[in-house]
Amino acid sequence: MLRSRYQDIIAQTIVRIMVPFVQIYALYVLAHGHYSPGGGFQGGVILAASLVLIFLVYGYENALERLKLATAGRLCSLGVLIYAGIGFLCLLLGGNFLDYSRLAPIFQVSLPRARSLGILGIETGVALAVMAAMYSIIMDIVNSDTGNGESHAAGHEIENGETSSDGK
Amino acid sequence: MKAFFLGVDIFLCLMVFLCLYRVVFGPTLGDRIVATGAIGTKTLTILVIIGFLYGRVEMFLDISLAYALLNFIGTLAAAKYFEAKGEF
Amino acid sequence: MVIRDIIAMILILIGCFFFLTSAIGLLRFPDMFTRMHATGKCDTLAVLLVMTGLIVHHGINLDSFKLLLIVVFIYIANPTATHVLSRAAYRLGMQPWTKDKK
Repeated sequence: MLRSRYQDIIAQTIVRIMVPFVQIYALYVLAHGHYSPGGGFQGGVILAASLVLIFLVYGYENALERLKLATAGRLCSLGVLIYAGIGFLCLLLGGNFLDYSRLAPIFQVSLPRARSLGILGIETGVALAVMAAMYSIIMDIVNSDTGNGESHAAGHEIENGETSSDGK
Repeated sequence: MKAFFLGVDIFLCLMVFLCLYRVVFGPTLGDRIVATGAIGTKTLTILVIIGFLYGRVEMFLDISLAYALLNFIGTLAAAKYFEAKGEF
Repeated sequence: MVIRDIIAMILILIGCFFFLTSAIGLLRFPDMFTRMHATGKCDTLAVLLVMTGLIVHHGINLDSFKLLLIVVFIYIANPTATHVLSRAAYRLGMQPWTKDKK
């Protein structure tokens, strides 16, 4: 089954080494979005890709241990809240929606710096929302499949001499 | 040097079309996945060289690295899916 | 034309040769395992050669570090993908090609 753990030590080792670097690269894409392609959406997608990598190799239950679906839903709402919160904060301070220059007195910085920080905050919210949404979509798709190769995969696991943790 | 980079890019595009034959007419599913991975590797190189052509290396390098990552994840997911499904 | 550019051009041309080799192998070899053998190794080496040529052309700075990062990533990811695919095909009962079978 797709949900089961992938019984292959090479893939498991490579993914365990690779995932932290992928996440750092995602943060780089997120924070460096002013000067190069990237930004909130792309950084969020790469973060979700690292979680999907964990799910693919370590199995459905193991990925849920790292990020539960309920937590993902809350993170999604939190991202939207950050976006809308910064927007309405600018509105409250007398500017337009997302008019970052009004944030300068709060942060105690110059106008261009305040715009830069405001955009970074927006991008962080977008990245959180995108990551959580992508993750929960993929996990839901995987959970809903009934698959016709179930007996096949189960046979492989017995042949491998290991017991799968999720009882499939 | 720009003419050389352009020539290399055109050559690599030709290689992509050669691999595309395997994707379209490949006898088994595995052949198609292998050929898709090979096309991904060539595309990554094409992207980096396009960055050198346009003089915006840092931009295209980021795209290329993300492309390599997604290519790897795609191959892994396809392999796991078809192994679980039991047909190849 | 500087001597650096000539070295870079030679390296990139060798890389292109390996890309051509991998494409020909993908087209001409008889079954999936041999095709994987062609692309898995030749593409990895070709990426190393092309990126080294570009590093020589570009000099040492942040961009060449990123080029090196791409090479390291491909060197880790490409053999893993090939291994995972061949393992899946083998466990599903695909027989490797032998000379006297066909």
